[in-house]
Amino acid sequence: MSDLRETLKEQIIEQLNLEDLTPADITNEGPLFGDDGLGLDSIDALEFIVLLESNYNIKIADPSEGKEIFHSVDSLAAYIEKNQ
Amino acid sequence: MKIYITGYGLISSIGMNADESLVSLKNHSTGIEDARLETMKGYKVGAIHATNEELKEKFDIKTNCSRTALLGIIAAKQAFNGHPLSNEIRTGLISGTSVGGMDVSEVEYKNYLDGENHNPDNYKHHSSGVSSEQMAAEIGATDFVNTISTACSSAANALMMGARMINNGLLDRVVVGGTDALTKFTISGFKSLMIFDEEWCRPFDESRKGLNLGEGAGYVVLESEKSISLSKQKPVAMLSGWSNASDSFHQTASSQDGHGAQLSMQEALNVAGLKPEDIDYINAHGTATPNNDLSESQAIKKIFKSRIPPFSSTKAYTGHTLAASGGIEAVFAILAIQNGYIYPNLNFRNAIEETGLIPQLKFSENNKVKHVLSNSFGFGGNNSTVIISAV
Amino acid sequence: MYYIHAIASITHQNSFRVDNIINELKPIEKDSDLISPDYKEFIPGAALRRLSPVLRIGLTTSIEVKNKVNKDFDAISVGTALGCLKDTEKFLTTFHTSTSDFLSPTAFIQSTHNTIGGQISLGLGNHAYNMTHTQNNLSFEVALIDAMMCVNEGKSNVLVGAADEHIPFLETLQPKLVSNQYPLSTGASFFAISGKKNNIGVKAVKTNFNSASTQEDLVNFLSEQNMTLNDVDVVLNSSDTVQIPSTCDSIDYLNFSGLHYSASAFALHIAHDYLIEKKKKTALIINDMCSGKTGFMLVQSDEA
Repeated sequence: MSDLRETLKEQIIEQLNLEDLTPADITNEGPLFGDDGLGLDSIDALEFIVLLESNYNIKIADPSEGKEIFHSVDSLAAYIEKNQ
Repeated sequence: MKIYITGYGLISSIGMNADESLVSLKNHSTGIEDARLETMKGYKVGAIHATNEELKEKFDIKTNCSRTALLGIIAAKQAFNGHPLSNEIRTGLISGTSVGGMDVSEVEYKNYLDGENHNPDNYKHHSSGVSSEQMAAEIGATDFVNTISTACSSAANALMMGARMINNGLLDRVVVGGTDALTKFTISGFKSLMIFDEEWCRPFDESRKGLNLGEGAGYVVLESEKSISLSKQKPVAMLSGWSNASDSFHQTASSQDGHGAQLSMQEALNVAGLKPEDIDYINAHGTATPNNDLSESQAIKKIFKSRIPPFSSTKAYTGHTLAASGGIEAVFAILAIQNGYIYPNLNFRNAIEETGLIPQLKFSENNKVKHVLSNSFGFGGNNSTVIISAV
Repeated sequence: MYYIHAIASITHQNSFRVDNIINELKPIEKDSDLISPDYKEFIPGAALRRLSPVLRIGLTTSIEVKNKVNKDFDAISVGTALGCLKDTEKFLTTFHTSTSDFLSPTAFIQSTHNTIGGQISLGLGNHAYNMTHTQNNLSFEVALIDAMMCVNEGKSNVLVGAADEHIPFLETLQPKLVSNQYPLSTGASFFAISGKKNNIGVKAVKTNFNSASTQEDLVNFLSEQNMTLNDVDVVLNSSDTVQIPSTCDSIDYLNFSGLHYSASAFALHIAHDYLIEKKKKTALIINDMCSGKTGFMLVQSDEA
């Protein structure tokens, strides 16, 4: 369980080029998007879709679904576990 | 200073020239269909169904050039046809493009990645500036050459810069517009943004999903009064207003309230010395993306309030021709003024809930069309508006 | 006159936040790095992480210029010869090699030439006129002509500049398509110009897209200004096609900027600083990096 979350954090950092961050800087439950989170935006939401497909073979056809799924590392991990 | 328009030319999926385009416009006949080329399979596009060789033969062009440059040469030649060259008329060309010679480069780069048959010489077509130089050389408009690259607002910006160069006394006559060929680069790019519609696009419709790409070129000839007295060309319209403003909201999305769009429409009206109620028809940017059409609608409502003139997006006819769109749509505006036409917004069913705006639904004749406002909004929030008026 | 009120350059020279760069200039060496500031001082991390070199330097120099003049720009005019090459190449590779249904969009979004201008607008919260010009070696000259028109039209604080970046792939295009006379380079120079008086200004700019002889064009350009080469204190040259009188100083600017096709922007920075340092009156920049396409900029000091 926690391995997935740690792996996800590394993948997020790589896919989104978050060069200044380490997995330790990203909490499981904290919001990823917006100023309260890591400052991610709608372009990053599209990058998440690429991340899900290339690493987990999960396709999201409608980008608007992404808002809930990518809310936090926890919600992302839960979605992956449910759809794999 | 008055800016006269004395020529126009265009090529797109709905026609190889203005006359053919008008037939399609009248018949509600779209150029958008399933892509025939292997590299674009699976997408609905507004493609010009002719290879480069076929186009060169049809239009008697011998220049070794990219497809973008070729489409540009075709349209610019149409526009400049019959215009005399003269040492007394300083004549330039300002062209907008977003892909430049990418149609050639992307093929060559694939060879490079595959490690086979790579010919670096072919990248000579890549630079956007080169395509403009080739167009200028073809028609003899070489006193000044410039290329504007602001994505989808490029051609409109070229019109604006041309007018300003005349007003600033730097040129007497200038061929302005834009050109873009369909490329795998842009098709892949818009795919990555997930803003395509897999079906035929629906500008300003509540259910709109995204855009269909197209290709083409559109150019007009701008002349000063001094130039016309020498060239003896008959003006067909005036370029009466122009503007460019920055939305400054996001790299790709427009602000919800269409702030940048409002700024550009208002400023263009100011330049033209017109009030909103003077506009007889709006040719909208109307790409059919959820974001643009809402944003643009809000801006139109703010500027025109309760007196919104007939408006439509013609992109359900041609597809979104990117940098060429402002040039092609400027020609549509001229034809509307000359003939009293208002074009329909094809494939519309239901108004956007937030705005309730209903565009023009049918091709209409016998209208008094004196002033047309045309919007072109590019990536990075680059918002441009031109106003074309009767002579 | 179009007066220069602030300049910022990021190049392979020590050119950023240096009062006068004249004594800092050294011949550029192959594979030398850009001498750049800590970009984090200018660009928040969330934005910075995505940005390619050309975007970083274009945005940073623009922010620096804005901070120096401490006034919003009412027009922005950017020149770039080849645009955002790193992201263009990255996206080309992405779609040619990907087997996935989904493609990473960031490189595509940042591949359009006007991303530089767009980032400047976003970074400064600026809603004004924002134009991107791309015309090979004359990209900066046409951007400057646009900026000068803006001033003529009543704009009081215009940002104008150029940026281009080097990518290793360009070396495959040498020597036919890209010259190999100088090391390929990256660079950005941005200026705030205004009709409001200051020491140094641009007196005139001219382009010729049909040039048979740089020398001839030069003589014509100067005579339009009622001048000859004898009235010029320093010539900044992109090649040695022009005969310079011995009374005139000569700077081979590509030797300092390295080769990128909008390097004449850095030449303007050098000219500006030269006139101040040497207390001279007139500098002339000659740009004929591409055969048959020439550009001239006449720069003068009001105080010398």
